[in-house]
Amino acid sequence: MKLLKPSWVSHNGKPIFSVDIHPDGSKFATGGQGEDSGKVVIWNMAPVLREEDEKNENVPKLLCQMDNHLACVNCVRWSNNGLYLASGGDDKLVMVWKRAAFIGPSTVFGSSSKLANVEQWRCVMILRNHTGDVMDVAWSPHDVWLASCSVDNTIVIWNARKFPEIVMTLKGHTGLVKGLTWDPVGKYIASQADDHSLKVWRTMDWQLETNITKPFSECGGTTHVLRLSWSPDGQYLVSAHAMNNSGPTAQIIERDGWKTNMDFVGHRKAVTVVKFNPKIFKKKQKNGSTPKPSCPYCCCAVGSKDRSLSVWLTSLKRPLVVIHDLFDKSIMDITWTLNGLGLLVCSMDGTVALLDFSQDELGDPLNEEEKNAIHQNIYGKSLAITTGSHLTSTVIENPEMLKYQQERQRNQNPNGEAQGSAPENQTHKLTNVLNGESLEDIRKNLLKKQVETRTADGRRRITPLCIAQLDTADFSPALFNSVPILPGSSASTQLIPQISSDSNSLGLRPSHDLTSTSPNKPAEDNKDSGTAAVNSIGMKSNLLLTSASKFEPMKALDSRFTERSKATPGVTSVHLTIGITPLDRVKDGSSVKEPKGKDETSSDSEDKIVVKSMAKRKGEMEGAEVVEKRKKGRPRKDAKMMPISQPFPQTPVSLEKEPSRLTAPVALLKLPTPSIQKSFSTQVSTDGVTYLEVENEVSVVSGSRLSQLKWSREGREWDTLLPSRIIIAAGSSDVVAVACEDRTLSVFTACGRRLIPSIMLSAPMSALHCSGHFVMALTASAALSVWDVQKQTALVKNESLDPVLSGTDATVSQSFLTRQGVAVVSLSNGKAYCFNSSLESWNLIADKQDSLVQCADFRSCVSSQDALGSTGPLALTQGRNLSAGRLASGLSSTPHLLQQGITLAFLEKQLSSALILLSASEYRHWILIYTRFLVNEGYELRIRELCQDLLGPVHRSSSSSWEPTVLGLRKRDLLTEVLPVIGQNLRFQRLFTEYQDQLELLRLK
Amino acid sequence: MAKVQVLNVAVLDNPSPFGNPFQFEVTFECMEDLPEDLEWKIIYVGSAESEEYDQTLDSVLVGPVPAGRHMFVFQADAPNTGLIPESDAVGVTVVLITCTYRGQEFIRIGYYVNNEYMDTELRENPPLKPDYGQLQRNILASNPRVTRFHINWEGCAEKMEDSENVDPAPNAMLPPSCTPGKAPPLSLVPDNSMDCL
Repeated sequence: MKLLKPSWVSHNGKPIFSVDIHPDGSKFATGGQGEDSGKVVIWNMAPVLREEDEKNENVPKLLCQMDNHLACVNCVRWSNNGLYLASGGDDKLVMVWKRAAFIGPSTVFGSSSKLANVEQWRCVMILRNHTGDVMDVAWSPHDVWLASCSVDNTIVIWNARKFPEIVMTLKGHTGLVKGLTWDPVGKYIASQADDHSLKVWRTMDWQLETNITKPFSECGGTTHVLRLSWSPDGQYLVSAHAMNNSGPTAQIIERDGWKTNMDFVGHRKAVTVVKFNPKIFKKKQKNGSTPKPSCPYCCCAVGSKDRSLSVWLTSLKRPLVVIHDLFDKSIMDITWTLNGLGLLVCSMDGTVALLDFSQDELGDPLNEEEKNAIHQNIYGKSLAITTGSHLTSTVIENPEMLKYQQERQRNQNPNGEAQGSAPENQTHKLTNVLNGESLEDIRKNLLKKQVETRTADGRRRITPLCIAQLDTADFSPALFNSVPILPGSSASTQLIPQISSDSNSLGLRPSHDLTSTSPNKPAEDNKDSGTAAVNSIGMKSNLLLTSASKFEPMKALDSRFTERSKATPGVTSVHLTIGITPLDRVKDGSSVKEPKGKDETSSDSEDKIVVKSMAKRKGEMEGAEVVEKRKKGRPRKDAKMMPISQPFPQTPVSLEKEPSRLTAPVALLKLPTPSIQKSFSTQVSTDGVTYLEVENEVSVVSGSRLSQLKWSREGREWDTLLPSRIIIAAGSSDVVAVACEDRTLSVFTACGRRLIPSIMLSAPMSALHCSGHFVMALTASAALSVWDVQKQTALVKNESLDPVLSGTDATVSQSFLTRQGVAVVSLSNGKAYCFNSSLESWNLIADKQDSLVQCADFRSCVSSQDALGSTGPLALTQGRNLSAGRLASGLSSTPHLLQQGITLAFLEKQLSSALILLSASEYRHWILIYTRFLVNEGYELRIRELCQDLLGPVHRSSSSSWEPTVLGLRKRDLLTEVLPVIGQNLRFQRLFTEYQDQLELLRLK
Repeated sequence: MAKVQVLNVAVLDNPSPFGNPFQFEVTFECMEDLPEDLEWKIIYVGSAESEEYDQTLDSVLVGPVPAGRHMFVFQADAPNTGLIPESDAVGVTVVLITCTYRGQEFIRIGYYVNNEYMDTELRENPPLKPDYGQLQRNILASNPRVTRFHINWEGCAEKMEDSENVDPAPNAMLPPSCTPGKAPPLSLVPDNSMDCL
C-alpha cells in the first residue's frame, strides 16, 4: 500500500467535507468551505497518481472550481454515467453540474490566469426543496433518481431524468438525516440520521421497509456526517456511527432479514463514513498452486472522528490496514477509484490523502461479467441489463439515425425552453453560427444591430442579443444515457491533446517511490513516508505562483481591486504516523454468503373484486354488486386446490309461477335467471341520464296482462306495452332490448320503434346487453347469441358455453358486450372468454390466476402516457389494477431469462387479446409496450417480424394477402409510431433505418 | 447563486483617441428569465486620489433577459475632460463597469487605463494643460479585475440573509453596501507620473 497526501488539493486550508472520484477515474471533485461561499473543485487525477504529471506544468491540476453555493458544500457526487455532478450544501440547495460542451476551455472572466478553469462545469439545475442544510446526495443505480437528505429531517427523491421533478419526499426521520446510500440492486435506499435510527426505504412504493434502532440507541453526541454504504453485492449495508458495548462501531446489516449481528469494531470515536469498494474481489491465485474456487469478498473503508482510517476485507476477521493520525481532524468522506485499488480520503482539516493498494493486497477484482453473475445468482437479475451504457460507444451509422436521435432529444426536452425556438442540441452551432451568420459577423455589427430604446423616463434600454439558449433542460433520458454524439462538439477538441494522454489511463503509478507502506512493516516506513510527503509538497507549491501581470509598476492600483484568491505559498508540513492496530471484530461471518433463493412470499393482499353478479339468488334486476374478497395466493396452488367441479352448482331459478309457460327442461338451465319483479328501473349505457323503467302487469286488457316499458332521457320519454312480463331490460345509445317471461326478446330503437319482431329464445334469459347496434343474449341454458340489429344478422348463433364451463365449478360472474359487438363472458374463477365468430371458438382473454400475468414485468416499458391508453374492454376484463408484475416487481426469485420469457409471452397474449376483442386503442397501447420490451431486451427477430407485418409489401401485388389496416388502424401509421421506440436502442439502428427508409419511400409514392 | 454570470467583456476600439466613446462588448449568461432589467454603468475614475472625480459615463438598462447567453455592446461617451484634475489626465487610471439588479450591485469589472501622448515630443515634455486631442487611451483589456457580490436575486435591495457571504474583502473596488458610482477613499495613491508602458 502506498500513501500520498497531495498538498495542492486544498480549499486554501478550509475544511473539505466531501470527495468523489469521477467514474472514468480521470478527475475527482471536492466540496467544502470556500472563501466566502461553498466551494466545489474539480481536480485532475493524473497528477495525484503520477509524479511526472505532478511535476509537469502542462498538466493542469485544478480543472474547475465553482463557488456558486452560498454556503459550505457538504457533499459532491458524480452521476454513474459521469455526465453530471451533484452537490449539496448548507445553503439548502442541491446543484447539478454539467460540463458545458460548447464553451471549451477558457478562464473564468476576470480571474487571473493561475485560476484558469480548464474545464467548464456549469450549474444546469438548482434543486430547491429542503428547508435545511443538505447533508448528503446520492445517485441511484443507472441515474434514475437523485436522493438528497437534509437537516430538515427529510429525504427528497428527485427524478433525475426530469429535474426538478420530485418523485417523493421520504418523511419519517425525527432527526437530522446525514447519510444516504442506494442498494446497488436498486430495490432500496437507506438513510441514517441523528435520531438514532437507520431506515431502509423501498424504491417500489417509497415506503419504509425497516427501521433499525437498536445499534444506535447508545449513540450520543453528534457527528457531522453519517455516510453509510451498501456493499456492491447488495448483501450488506454498513452504517456509520453505531455503538456496541459503549464502543463506537460500524454496524453491519444483512439484507436478509435486516439482521444486525456483526459490526466493525476498533475505532475510538464515532464512525463518520463507510465506503464499500465498488469491486468484488476473489483471492489472488498464486502461481503454481492449484486454482481452487474461493469465495468472493468485498472491501470496505471506514473513516472515523478519531482521525483514523481502517480498510477491511469481508474475508478477514481483522482489518487489512489501519492508518492513524493521517489527518488533524475528523475524516469526512471516502471515495474509491473505479478499479478498486485506490481511494481518496478527505478531512475536516482541509487535506486529502490517496491510498493506493496493489492487487496482491486486495485480491483479484471480479470483472463486470463475474459481478453480474453474482447478482444474477442472488437476485435472479443482472444489474447491467437495463443500462444503456454499453451502447454509448456505438457509432451512429447514418444521418437519418443521427437526425432522429437529435430530434428525440429535442422532443424530450422536458422544460421546453423559454422560446423553444432554438433546440438545445444546436447550441453548439449557435456559438458559431446564428441564422447563418457567424458569431464574428454578429459581433462586427452588434452595436448597429442591437435594439436600443428609451424608457419612459428617458433612460437607454438595450435589448441584448440572445446568442444561445441554455441547455439546462437536457435531462432527457437520451442525453442522460448516452454521451452526446454530436459532430464537432467543440468542447473536447482543444482539451484532449492537453489532458487525454495523462488522464485516460487509470493505472496507478507502478513504482511510487514517494511513499510506500506495507502493512506488515509499519514502523520503519513511518519516517520515510513522512519526509517524502514533505518533499513532494515542497516541489509542488510553487506551481501556483505565476507572474501576476506585466504591469508591475501599477501594483499600487491593485488596492482598488479585489484579490480574492491569492495562492498561499508555503510548505505545509505533514506528520504521519502510520501503524497497524489490530482491531477486533466482534463476530465474524461477513464473508459473502452463498446466494440463497429468496422465497418470495405470496402477496397476502386481499383483492377486492367487484363482481357484477348475475348469479344472485335474489335476482335483483339491476344486477346487484357484490364485493367478493379473495385471498390471493400462489397461482399453482390455487389451481390445485380447486375442488372437483360440480356440473350445475347453481340451482336454477324457478319460474313455476306460470308453469304452463315453463317449457325449457330444468336440467338445461345452467345459468341463473333473474326473478320477475313488479317493477324496476335500469340505467342505460354510461351517460347517466337515460333510464329504462319497467312496470309489469300495469293493466289487464281482455284477460291478458300488459307490461309497460318506459324510456326516459332528460325529459324526453316514450313507452311501449308488451304482452308478457319483462325480466330484463337493457339499452344502448342506439337500441333498447327487453327479454320477457315468455322467452321472447324484443328490440326497439332509441326512439321506441320496434326494430324486429320478437325473437324467440331457446331458454329463459339470463343476461342481456346492448352496445351500439349489437344485442347480446345469454340464456339460462348457457348459450350465447349476438345480433347486429341494424344489419339484422346474427354474429353469434346460440353458441353454448359448455366448452368454457365444463370441468369447472365456475359460473358466469359477469358478461358484457363491447362496442364492436364482441361478447365477453367472465367466470367466477377469474377467467374471461370471448367468442370469435370467424374462428368459431371461445378465446381465453383474461385469467387472473395466470402465472404469466403475475410474473410478467414490463413496467419499465410503460410510459406515463400509456396509462391513459389502457382503457377498453381488455382492461375492463382483466381489471384496471392489472396485477401484472406484482410478484415480479423489483426483483423476484425468477431468474431473469425466465422472467423475460414470461413477460414476452404475456405481452403477446395481451396483443392477441386486444386484437380479438377488436379493441383498437388497446391494441395500439400494447403494441407500443410490446415494442419497447422487445427493444429493451433485444429481440431482434420479433421486432423485424412486427415491422414487416406493419409495413406490408412495399410493392403492390395482387397475390398479397396483407391487410393495410388492423382494427381500423392503419398499420403503417402504427409503424410510424413504433419506429421511434426502436430507434431508442442504437443496436437496432440498421433495422430502424431500413424501415424508416421504406416508410419514406411509400410516403413518396 | 448568482443568476447572471458575466462570461466575457471585450474592449472594442482600443487603443483609441481620448475623445472616442468607450465600447465594451459584454457577454453574459443568465440562469433563468429575469423579471427585471439589469442596469449597467460605466464609471470613469478621473483621479485615483479621490472618488470625487469619478464620472458615471452612462448607465443603460438591459432587458428583457430570458435564460440563455446574451451579448450587447455598451457604448458611452468619453469622459468630460472638465471634470478631470489636470494632473491626473495623463497616466494610469481606471474605468469601471458595474451591473446592478434590483438596485444591488453584483459585479464590478475594473480595467486599467493608460492615457498618454502619441507624440514622442509631447510624451517627453507634456504640456501643463493636458492636450486631450493628442492623448491616446489604452485600456488594458487583458487584465480585467472582477469583483462579484452576493445579492438577493429574488427580492429587492433589502438586506441579504446570508450576510456572512458578502464579499469580505475590505479592499474591494467597492463594498457592496456603497452606492454604486461612489468609490471609497483610496489608501494608496498611485504614482501617476510613472511611465509604465
